[in-house]
Amino acid sequence: MARHPVPAAADIEALAGHRFPGGTYRIAHWENVLLSGCTGADLLPDGIAHPSALFHLPIAGSGTSIAEMFALGQAESDLSIMIESYDWEFFQPLREETDYRVEGKIHSAERIQEQDREYDRIQFCFAVSLASGEPVARSVVTWHYTRNTL
Amino acid sequence: MTVAVGDRIPEWVMPEVSAERMRTMAALLRDPNPLHWDRDAVAALPLGLGRRTINQGPLGLGYMVNMLHAWAGPGCIRKMVTRFPQVVLDGETVIARGEVTAVDNTGDLQLIECSIWLEHAERGILLEGEATVVRPGSHQPQAEP
Repeated sequence: MARHPVPAAADIEALAGHRFPGGTYRIAHWENVLLSGCTGADLLPDGIAHPSALFHLPIAGSGTSIAEMFALGQAESDLSIMIESYDWEFFQPLREETDYRVEGKIHSAERIQEQDREYDRIQFCFAVSLASGEPVARSVVTWHYTRNTL
Repeated sequence: MTVAVGDRIPEWVMPEVSAERMRTMAALLRDPNPLHWDRDAVAALPLGLGRRTINQGPLGLGYMVNMLHAWAGPGCIRKMVTRFPQVVLDGETVIARGEVTAVDNTGDLQLIECSIWLEHAERGILLEGEATVVRPGSHQPQAEP
């Protein structure tokens, strides 16, 4: 199998501090119905959105996408990303049909060398608030960009 | 409901992880990763997973959310950290489980710390993490008579 070129560690480390444009996101009712169904849950009462929305809401709302996040870390393919962790905090439940303001950035980016592999560990942080500025949630996504592993 | 350290959270079972739901989820997330919708792409990886698609992280995590909601009510989750030591595959039966590790009754709200995990009968723990859930506490102000 042909080896993929590995980006310079300095180029990866320079991603730290990168800010996404920011923006807004509204979880539509239909979206919450489908999302809840995918998890095997019934729709929650009182317009509460399924908490799993805290994955894609901040990504889309901050003006980026999964594809752009892959590209920023110079993923060698869509198949090469591994999840380390998702760290979520809710200051209030997410709700359908509510406009949320989202800010996002790359918190850290580093080359990790282990005995049998190397990868780039990139951590994205997102903050979700109401239009008034009242905090709603935060999400920290930590992915491994594997290099010539998968 | 009285809660104490060491209590087990009632388990939540996903009888069969669905490839079709992964496809719907990929569209919702605008997730281009073929691991979630192309069995041949997964089979080509050097991981020995066979022709089965890999569940999205937020879906497996969602099973643990559903367990917490069934136990402590919708909107109960304050914090949730999930790690992904193994993948979840289509066709699998997985069980969300959890255990209370700390209880704080000092405020108006009861804060419950839990260890949570998603388990497969043969492959063991697939996802693991910690959650903080909130319930009305035992120190709620009494209504005026």
